[in-house]
Amino acid sequence: MSGPTRGNGSSPASDGDSGDSSISDDHDVGSGVLNVPRTDGGSEAEGALSEARSAAATLRRRVEARALTLGAAVTALVLLVVFYYPVATVFVDAVFVEGRLTVEPIVSVLTSRFYLVDIFGFTAYQALLSTIASVLLGLPGAWILSRFEFPGRETLRSLTILPFVMPSIMVAIGFVATFGRNGTLNAVLGALGLPPVELLFTIEAIVIAHAFYNAPLVARVTTAAWESVDASAVETARSLGASPTRAFRDVVLPQLLPAVAIGATLTFVFTFASFPIVLALGGFQLATVEVFIYSRIQNLAYAEAAALAVVETAISVGLTYWYLRYEGRNRGSGQGARPQPRQSLWPDSWTAKATGSRVAIIGYGLVVLAVFVGPIASMVLTSLTGPQGLTLDHYLFLLERQQTGASYQVRPLPAIANSLRFGVGTLLVAVPMGVVVAVLTTREFRGRAAIDTLAMAPFAVSGIVVGLGLLRGLVFGVDAFGTRLQVTGAIAVVAAHAVGAYPFVTRNVAPLLGNLDPRLVESARSLGASRVRALVDIELPLVAAGVVAGAAFVFAISIGEFDSTVVLAEGSTSYTMPVAVERYLGRRLGPATAMGCILLAVTSLSFVIIERFGGRYGGRGGF
Amino acid sequence: MKLTLENVRKEYGETVALGRRSDGESRTDGGVTFEVGDGEFFTLVGPSGCGKTTTLRLVAGFDSPSAGIIRFDGRDMRGVPPEDRGVGVVFQNYALFPHLSVAENVAYGLRFSDPPDGAIRDQRVASLLDLVDLSNAGDRDPTELSGGQQQRIALARALAPGPDLLLLDEPMSALDARLRERLRMQIKEIQSTLGITTVYVTHDQEEALAISDRVAVMNDGEVEQIGTPRAVYRHPESRFVAEFVGDNNVFEGTVLDVRPRNAENRTDAAAGSGESPVETKGFGGGSAEPDLAVDVGGVEIRVETSLDVSEGDRVVFCVRPEHMEVRRDENARSDGSNVLDATVVESEFLGDSTRVYLQWRDRELTVRSDDPLDGDVRIDFDAADAHVVERLKK
Repeated sequence: MSGPTRGNGSSPASDGDSGDSSISDDHDVGSGVLNVPRTDGGSEAEGALSEARSAAATLRRRVEARALTLGAAVTALVLLVVFYYPVATVFVDAVFVEGRLTVEPIVSVLTSRFYLVDIFGFTAYQALLSTIASVLLGLPGAWILSRFEFPGRETLRSLTILPFVMPSIMVAIGFVATFGRNGTLNAVLGALGLPPVELLFTIEAIVIAHAFYNAPLVARVTTAAWESVDASAVETARSLGASPTRAFRDVVLPQLLPAVAIGATLTFVFTFASFPIVLALGGFQLATVEVFIYSRIQNLAYAEAAALAVVETAISVGLTYWYLRYEGRNRGSGQGARPQPRQSLWPDSWTAKATGSRVAIIGYGLVVLAVFVGPIASMVLTSLTGPQGLTLDHYLFLLERQQTGASYQVRPLPAIANSLRFGVGTLLVAVPMGVVVAVLTTREFRGRAAIDTLAMAPFAVSGIVVGLGLLRGLVFGVDAFGTRLQVTGAIAVVAAHAVGAYPFVTRNVAPLLGNLDPRLVESARSLGASRVRALVDIELPLVAAGVVAGAAFVFAISIGEFDSTVVLAEGSTSYTMPVAVERYLGRRLGPATAMGCILLAVTSLSFVIIERFGGRYGGRGGF
Repeated sequence: MKLTLENVRKEYGETVALGRRSDGESRTDGGVTFEVGDGEFFTLVGPSGCGKTTTLRLVAGFDSPSAGIIRFDGRDMRGVPPEDRGVGVVFQNYALFPHLSVAENVAYGLRFSDPPDGAIRDQRVASLLDLVDLSNAGDRDPTELSGGQQQRIALARALAPGPDLLLLDEPMSALDARLRERLRMQIKEIQSTLGITTVYVTHDQEEALAISDRVAVMNDGEVEQIGTPRAVYRHPESRFVAEFVGDNNVFEGTVLDVRPRNAENRTDAAAGSGESPVETKGFGGGSAEPDLAVDVGGVEIRVETSLDVSEGDRVVFCVRPEHMEVRRDENARSDGSNVLDATVVESEFLGDSTRVYLQWRDRELTVRSDDPLDGDVRIDFDAADAHVVERLKK
């Protein structure tokens, strides 16, 4: 009764035996849609042809049946080679000194007052301050976004994703252009007849820059929680006698606090491992662990760097694990059946309360302009000004450097070309990896939690550590099976970017996949599709927005990635735009800001794609 | 195609979803066993959580049994993935692919196999849309259609590749009552035209009785009874089936006396009421049945049975509401029948009749009546209309 690729042929035979074909034939006359046994009276050639065809079909099915397993195996292999092995290399570096096993480097880190207080203590301290600043700056934003209605609210809400795709080195350059001795801030102060301030290389600059990154994150997760508060719950509390303030405290606040905690924890994790911002705004005077590890690598003190990296990774993984568990516990409170109504930004009547809150909103708006728009505007402005006012000198310098630069100098075009090449390469590796992991983590199977954690580990391990591991291992060369394996800088960079970026694909795709009705896949399979065909035909088209958004994240992250790239590009030609920005920054601000503007243009393009395809899925997005 | 389940069990960790619980009593041998004949319309009916959907998923191959064998035409289906089973599945929520048009949905299964009648794909799709009376819907988006239309598209999609077995999982639960009745007639008609073996899952016993060739009543992971709708309705074999299928009055009592039936004593229960929708003759061995006197809470009730029962046994028996006659006149007593004096608690007007809830001693009874009732009433029923469900173990 089945076509050649279905029901392995035994059922037609038994159908014939049981004599029901005569029944079928009866019906056949009446209706055109009956199951009619195929007449097998063909020539031998036809038989051979159909045999070959069915053999090919069988082979295809065999491959398809294992395609998911194959994808998982390849993903695991890539992770093993470009993530777990390099990280292990760093760990081994920390415990093997001159060929013998020792805990001396790690113990020296853990017992040194300098490391514990000046490095780890300072890292935690600035992370804590940054977290507080981010929460303070983010919460009013969440209040405005979730409780007020105004034109452009949706756009503003989706703009909160922007910092994620901002290359950190570009943000750093913007802050230098704003707060530097000759920066915009001092220019404004000077014009007002005020004395200049020196904010660069102070912890304040670092904290504000971190808030630039993380306050939108806090605002984003809190807004999502606020919008999912069911108006009926608040109304019930009011009807039972609670005042508006009391209803807020008893009903709304308990639903917001977990979201605020998630945003704060994530901020702490990010700022604890922050590298380019601290490097550019704090220098080696205000060194966090990451910066210090980097300086050790530059001084070729690998054992010390490795020992620090081990301790840092342990802390980071612990924090991330705690975060993921907390997030997992607090997820799934569900969308409110009916969100609370929003107030208009322009009140109907100017009561004292309404006026007060509007003044507060205006004040907050100014702070937001200064913190978020200021640095980017300063960067663009600085790239276009010189001692004699408006100029294109800095861009001309880049052109000149392109034409006449010596081979050891960083030239702009290769940087742009490298960035784009690595971006595309990262896309090709990270998107399939992310999708495979998303598919695996949305299915129920034994040991899923372990796979989940292992696959998300790159989220927790800093780029510096991965870069160091890749550099010390595969880039320098590894002896395996009697041959010397060595990868070029370019491949190592793509690998490091892909490892850092694929979790963003997973986190964009997995929730959408998880929300799909499993019966869609079951329907497809009962209709004859293999598991992989069902994935390609049904699931992927339905989560396309998530895949595209994830891909845009991947591209933007690769374009802006600095941590591992700067380690791997050391002394090679595989430098990227962010690395070029940092190199120029060491000399003069102008060309660095010009390079930063080019980076901004490329990154903005990625953002447009995210906004177009991913923005409408809003909600938690990747986070 | 003939479908056979042999002692099929399904456990999720410690939880037994299908098959006998280790601690409880059971009438089956550890798992679910039944056979569905070629072209038969077979329904699994039971309350939610009874294992009917689990059974369907095992047959479709979405899950694998923990123990037991599922055979298609005698072939063991262990390890055969759903795509190789040649089954068509229709789910309660339709599960149409939202990114494909209606025609593309119906054609999806034809990507993997040729149309069974040798037609080209477009023809096959057109004839199936025709079959479900949606010839003009091909280019539309499935989400534009009403629930009933979506369900018919889902049926057309499942039938397109010419499956050997059609599996329907509560396909009409999401639809409103009137539409449900219309669609179930259409499904039954299509099924019998195609002669396709069909397993239908529903929690609605009325639907099960209306549509099936045979039904299996399931409870708590086990099959309680399998039979034609009429047999299951008239001769429930367990207290659960008696109470689950249709309205029923179930009694439990001790047998006081067993005597061979006296044919002259018999009165025809249907004769008096004239409204009995079902026949009562011809089942269970006719007039050779012995007559029992059963003590139900101090009242002696006479029932007939073909079961082997002896004095002192505890038995469960049931009487359908339509077999209980309401007597307004206290003197009118029909011969050989049982008489109960009860009080009206509540009446539900159903349109064609009235369902009356009565209080009789410490239990509630349900009867049908043409008129609204209140106050005290006298009801009687014939011993032949009482069906002994089971003899309880001592």
